[in-house]
Amino acid sequence: MAHAGTLEINNLSKQFRVKGQSLDVLDNISLSIKPGEFISIVGASGCGKSTLLRLVIGLENDYQGEILLDGKRVVGTSLERGIVFQEHRLFPWLTVAQNVSLGLLNADLPEREKDRSVQEHIELVGLKGFEGAYPYQLSGGMSQRVAIARALVNRPEVLLLDEPFGALDALTRNHLQQELQRIWEQEGITAILVTHDVDEAVYLGDRVVIMEPRPGRIKRTVDVPLPRPRDRGSYAFAAIKDDVLAEFADTPPVALVTPPQTVSDWQFAW
Amino acid sequence: MTTLIANHVPAALPAVRRPRLRWNHDALRRFALSWPLPLAVLLLWSLAARFEWLPPQILPPPSMVAATFIDLMASGELPDNLWISLWRVLAGFAAGAAGGLALGVLMGLSPTAKDYLYPSFRAIAQVPSIGWLPLLMMLVGIGEALKIILIAKAAFVPVALNTYKGLENVSTRFIEVARVYRFTRWQLLTKVVWPAAFPQVWNGIRYGLTHAWLALVAVELLASSEGLGFMIVYGRQLYQLDVVLAAVVVVGAVGFALDKVLALIENHLLRWRRDGF
Amino acid sequence: MTASNNADLRRLLRGVTLPALLLAWWWAAFRFGWTEAVLVVPIEKVWDTAVRMSSTGVLWQSLGASLARDLAGFALGSLAGFALGIALGLSRLLENLVGPTLHTIKQISLFAWIPLISVWFGLGDTAKVIFLSLAAFFPVALNTFEGIRSVPRELIEVGRVFALSPGQMLRRVVLPAALPSIFNGVHLALIYAWLATLGAEYLLTSGIGIGNLLTDGREHLWMDQVLLGIVMVGLVGFGLNLAATRIETRLLRWRGNSTGQY
Repeated sequence: MAHAGTLEINNLSKQFRVKGQSLDVLDNISLSIKPGEFISIVGASGCGKSTLLRLVIGLENDYQGEILLDGKRVVGTSLERGIVFQEHRLFPWLTVAQNVSLGLLNADLPEREKDRSVQEHIELVGLKGFEGAYPYQLSGGMSQRVAIARALVNRPEVLLLDEPFGALDALTRNHLQQELQRIWEQEGITAILVTHDVDEAVYLGDRVVIMEPRPGRIKRTVDVPLPRPRDRGSYAFAAIKDDVLAEFADTPPVALVTPPQTVSDWQFAW
Repeated sequence: MTTLIANHVPAALPAVRRPRLRWNHDALRRFALSWPLPLAVLLLWSLAARFEWLPPQILPPPSMVAATFIDLMASGELPDNLWISLWRVLAGFAAGAAGGLALGVLMGLSPTAKDYLYPSFRAIAQVPSIGWLPLLMMLVGIGEALKIILIAKAAFVPVALNTYKGLENVSTRFIEVARVYRFTRWQLLTKVVWPAAFPQVWNGIRYGLTHAWLALVAVELLASSEGLGFMIVYGRQLYQLDVVLAAVVVVGAVGFALDKVLALIENHLLRWRRDGF
Repeated sequence: MTASNNADLRRLLRGVTLPALLLAWWWAAFRFGWTEAVLVVPIEKVWDTAVRMSSTGVLWQSLGASLARDLAGFALGSLAGFALGIALGLSRLLENLVGPTLHTIKQISLFAWIPLISVWFGLGDTAKVIFLSLAAFFPVALNTFEGIRSVPRELIEVGRVFALSPGQMLRRVVLPAALPSIFNGVHLALIYAWLATLGAEYLLTSGIGIGNLLTDGREHLWMDQVLLGIVMVGLVGFGLNLAATRIETRLLRWRGNSTGQY
């Protein structure tokens, strides 16, 4: 079991310079994530959610505010924070096993330990038997699973996922969401998922953070107090989903039929 | 699965002011950085010639080369030879490219023709153009015919090969669209196959010109009494390296110009194609 | 025989039709005395010459000398090109300083260098190897540079996420990703080096080699020797090409059939 990290984001702001003009991408984002929590961030394109992840992972470093992991300031990339991108980004010249072991390249472990960990994680994502395959031989879903194994193999404290299933077909997506759910429960790490798919966000998250664009701000946070694994068909699930979707719709949310309040409400008129 | 639809009308990007200044700054910087190396070489060269680290027959000073260059231009010797070389390469290239296009189209459009001709073509292509030079010299002597034939052969192979490959690689998806819309054979060829194959065909033409120029220089060095190659050899025999260097500069400039012209035509003809494909 | 076997056989037969006809016409021309030209020699004579030169060792010596120079120049030029290509690819500053000059020098048609080289280095093996190195240098340098610049940013980011040191980044991400391009350059260098070997032997005439065989044959009007030389040149070119393609397929077998998707 990896140690789950506590992530604090305080008053995070970021601008991009586009042709001499300054563009506000993120405006005063504050988020507090407990260890082992699964946060889903939903928003339309352009709300800065990917930028937020890139700041947390350390690929971008120019910002105002604070990002703290376990109380320490985040500076640049580190093996304590892992990420799964929307493209699988596997190295085409390495086999599945070699790709996964990339995560352990700079880890301080004996070779045998590394090999064992690699094998463990390949089995964790359900790809046992494919250790020697090259990426060109894998389907999109399988490649993404390898990417997940690679991100987890060095047991990071926080796992970031940037629209990881966006490039896959709907059936594979559904299946991998369930897989991710299972893997997260088993590993017990803190996870942040960025997606534009509300269904996915509610299915996986303990909390759903709703962002709005231009500039990127947190609009609202919705709790998802449902037991896992979640039933997408249940009334409670649909209610939460509608709640989130309402933030993005022009029309007001459809009012559900209100249950009767008093005896006299359902008494016949005569 | 439900997806969100952004209901905000995208705001236009703020009006961009004065973009040119930034672009100029970058290009200017790159331009400035390109000079130190050649200037340093020029300086070293001048010093070496001045202090005669090597005898002047082997290393004439840059000033002498420049003066010789001007002399040769003025006397007409350089323009005359340049014109002869240019004429040869263009004539040979035209002949070779035409032949190459014909053969490439034939092999590309007719599988039967390809079966008969391609293996022999490949075998001939294995021998580089200058490999044929001694044979040609024996057969046609060392007159103009030799040069034109060799240059034509040099252009012929890449043009034929690329034309054939270009036609062969036309994506079946385009052809299927044409079938759905019931194009006639002629329409298929002119509206689908040729435009799709054209980028690679043009690629072959560019290679053809490069190889033609290469062959021209080679044959003029070996078996000619006029032309830029001849000037180089002549200067070399007389140990007049200033003449040699002047001619070499012109050879480089012409090679550059020829390729540039083709690149410009390509940009114009293929302006529908975007980079990063 | 299956249908595809039939088709393959038919294609094979068609392919050899033209050469077979040519050979038959050549044999008949001499057998039936269709031509009296001094230059036309019977096929048998070419074969006899081949056997003769092979047994005296002249053929193998010439071939060996040419190949030795070819490979030496190719190796030197490729290594130098590889080194410079990496340097230019990794450093924008170097690219701006050296790049324009390099592109300018590249414009000068290869053989134009020979007279200069002959003045500075003579007519022997040294001069030839230097010329061959020049021929191999440019394609490798330019393609290596191109390959390093084209490494997808997405893969570099993966390297950064896993905290790879600059050395690890170069060895494990940049160079493997650039390898297809580098290999393209090496293949081109091989072709140009062989081309240059021939040209060098024509122009820098001291020493032995296939090119010298050809020049010799031409001067003495020995058509059989010239034809033999041409066949050797073609065979070597074909062999080098084949070797390069085979090595490329093995080294790059991770590419599969599709274009790189990451």
